[in-house]
Amino acid sequence: MDLVFALALNGIVWGLIIALIALGLSIIFGLLDIINIAHGDFFMVGTVLAWTVLQTTGNYWLAFLLVPIIGFGLGLLINHAVIQPIKNAAALSIVATFGLSIILQESVRATYGAAPNRLVAPIQETLLLFGIQYEVYRIFAAAIAIFAICVFFGFLHKTKLGTWMRAVRFDPEIATAMGIPAHRIYMVTFGIGFAMAALGGVVAAPITTVDFQGGIDILPFCFMAVIIGGLGNLEGTVAAAVLLAFVEGIITSFTDPTIARIGSLIFMSAVLIVRPHGIFVGATR
Amino acid sequence: MRVTDTYKFGSWLLVLFTLTAPWVLPLLVDSFWVDIYSEILIWSLLAASVNLLLGYVGLLSFGQALFFGFGMYGVAIGVVKFDLGFWSAFIFGISLATGMAAIAGSLAVRLTWHYFAIITVVFSLIFYFTALSWKPITGGDDGLPFTIPPIISFGDYKLTMTNANFQYFFIVTIVGACYWLMYRVINSPLGRAFVTVRENDARAALIGLNVYLIRLTAFIFAGFIAGVAGALFALFGRYASASYMFYHVSGEAVVWAIIGGVGTLFGPIVGTGLMIVLREELSSVWDHYLLLVGVAVILTVIFAPRGIGGAFKALAEKIARQQFSRKESGP
Amino acid sequence: MSNVPLLEVTNVNKRFGGLKALQDVNLSLETGKLHAIIGPNGAGKTTLFNVVTGTIPVTSGRIKFLGTDMTNDKIHRISRRGLARTLQIKSVFANMTVRENLWIAAQSHHGVFSPFKSWKKCVRSVEMADIICEQIGLTSLADQTASNLSHGDIALLEMGLALATEPKLLLLDEPICGMGPAETEQTVIKIQEISKSTAIIIIEHDIEVVFKIADEITVMANGTVLAKGTPESIAANSDVRNAYLGDDDDD
Ligand SMILES: Nc1ncnc2c1ncn2[C@@H]1O[C@H](COP(=O)(O)OP(=O)(O)O)[C@@H](O)[C@H]1O
Ligand SMILES: [Mg+2]
Repeated sequence: MDLVFALALNGIVWGLIIALIALGLSIIFGLLDIINIAHGDFFMVGTVLAWTVLQTTGNYWLAFLLVPIIGFGLGLLINHAVIQPIKNAAALSIVATFGLSIILQESVRATYGAAPNRLVAPIQETLLLFGIQYEVYRIFAAAIAIFAICVFFGFLHKTKLGTWMRAVRFDPEIATAMGIPAHRIYMVTFGIGFAMAALGGVVAAPITTVDFQGGIDILPFCFMAVIIGGLGNLEGTVAAAVLLAFVEGIITSFTDPTIARIGSLIFMSAVLIVRPHGIFVGATR
Repeated sequence: MRVTDTYKFGSWLLVLFTLTAPWVLPLLVDSFWVDIYSEILIWSLLAASVNLLLGYVGLLSFGQALFFGFGMYGVAIGVVKFDLGFWSAFIFGISLATGMAAIAGSLAVRLTWHYFAIITVVFSLIFYFTALSWKPITGGDDGLPFTIPPIISFGDYKLTMTNANFQYFFIVTIVGACYWLMYRVINSPLGRAFVTVRENDARAALIGLNVYLIRLTAFIFAGFIAGVAGALFALFGRYASASYMFYHVSGEAVVWAIIGGVGTLFGPIVGTGLMIVLREELSSVWDHYLLLVGVAVILTVIFAPRGIGGAFKALAEKIARQQFSRKESGP
Repeated sequence: MSNVPLLEVTNVNKRFGGLKALQDVNLSLETGKLHAIIGPNGAGKTTLFNVVTGTIPVTSGRIKFLGTDMTNDKIHRISRRGLARTLQIKSVFANMTVRENLWIAAQSHHGVFSPFKSWKKCVRSVEMADIICEQIGLTSLADQTASNLSHGDIALLEMGLALATEPKLLLLDEPICGMGPAETEQTVIKIQEISKSTAIIIIEHDIEVVFKIADEITVMANGTVLAKGTPESIAANSDVRNAYLGDDDDD
């Protein structure tokens, strides 16, 4: 029973981190109409950057600040070099971002190396939680993820830029006609998307391994959250991510984690075919 | 005139090279290139199956590796678990892939655009994970090796694929038959219907085409071709493995098809050949040659989305037009 | 004359969310007439074509074609029954030649989609394509890719696509919109020619053209049918004059 509880808790923590990353994927998909196969690698780059910050400065906390900023910059760069040039060939965006994924993984392998590393969490304490010893860092990670998600929603609803983003998503032509600089919005969106995935990397690095292939597992999970939650339904994405990870966590305590993953994927296919707008009723936008 | 002539010339050159490769390649380079060429031919079928969907009905599948994997496992499981002979195992593999394509397709072609791409990846991932965890049948990570049964045996005499020349020509025959089949289908009324759906599906329905059925037919046909590729590759490598069902394999096939040029029959061979030769030549000298692949993919999508085949076609047509206009204005 | 109407629309309603695009539309149409639908923008004319051809489902009501109920039937089935249409936003198969465009339309109507035969050997459709090419006057452009055609020629080709399916009823949605005066005149003559052998419903904004060619006119406004009758009776109808023809027709 303790194990079930711990795995369920782990699931929720992971779900929140995935939600953070998947939100980035969702806004990129929603605004730019681009399937970003490289999104898992954005996360991976985040973990590697976090590792690098720790190695060079010895202070992991700095990574929480620095890595999202670097990620934002990388996002702008990639948007300029890859995404904008293929905007007119959106059908092939999936191919271009596949190429991007290869480049990111291979660059990391060339610089950081092929061997996976484990990071020591900046908080080592454990806490007695409902009868089990639970790592405090995981709770902290969940808190950071929640905080970042809240900041993101606040940004989207309370700032001018966020409102513009929603307007462009709703109808790019009308938005442009109203004088919203759609081009700049795309740029910022991609930057934010990368930054969120990278922040997810920083948060997750101490509880996973830092590896150039670390994004490969994350990517399907993010897509599941985005699709099951409903494309463009950002609250749905968050809910779906947490729910999925929670259920997978519980199933994992009974059987092979792969079986849990297969179950989620089948569920996702059913959602795609039967309810392509996600499982949350009445959610439009 | 000139355009079709260049095509004919190119096709004949390809055929001639293919038929003489086991003797020519060892003279020119090294005899292991014969095997690499066999591999190129097999993998080009996987790229061709991507091309059938993307180039002819306009659906980008990121999950063709699923059918490759089914063809592969069909052969291996047929030999290992059911004790099938060569031909029955081969046919079993292909049927398994085609059947899977019919089931997956009947669901997938309800979707289009990015959703279609996503669901094809998801389907292939489901079976990838299944193959990974179902070790007693699939061998999981380690794969499922097998001893290749003889093709025919008269008493003591056995003809098997362990004979290198025979193996090569077996592959050439099957791959050749597949391209012939694709050529026929593409130039048939059905092939025209494919292109019509690619061009404008809403319009196609309004003139009476059953768009769903046409997409499904194309999907099953593409699954069949990918299945043949997988079955051949199993026979060639004498094993099957879950790793060939991963979406990176599908992605690679998409890359080959696009670099070679979608919407042209031989584009996939050109793309696959180029990228595999590149890999063979570069991977030994430069560990990170994949960087080059990534860059090539992005550049192709940005600057030459119709690939080498498309660029060649455009060039040939331009030359033809110039000659035509010169003739018109000449004395 | 048989008393089964060609097209029978009964109490059809179409709602888009809160917007009532069609409200209790009733329409009965006999064979062999050129029928026109007029009405201001947003009246629901295109929506009526959309529900009749199965492009969008009706909210309620029934649609019968040649006595058979085909409400919410599949688009391609309706097309194969003999109902063809052109779209307000012109649409053809851009990367195919004019001939190929017409060939596929003819083939989809009466041909089989054999996977092995060469498409050029489907003689019947090849001949049909040539005939239609001649009929719409695009023979000289037959081997041009459709994307190279002028706007007017695309409109003609689209009409050809519909004709190649040998329809019993042809729905034309603003076929001369965007054409120059000369093209318009030619196209109108062609429409009149076609109407001798095929029933036509035409949506058109050019009132002059409508009154010249139509045997029967339906006036729509705000999703309802305002009036239906001969051009003379429509011209005399005071409701219509108030609602639609307005002031610019004060003779
Ligand atoms: N697919 C649709 N979704 C929502 N509203 C629509 C749709 N199609 C048409 N409408 C609305 O229905 C009304 C009638 O449109 P339409 O039939 O195109 O008019 P007309 O062809 O007479 O100009 C308009 O208000 C239009 O905005
Ligand atoms: Mg209209």
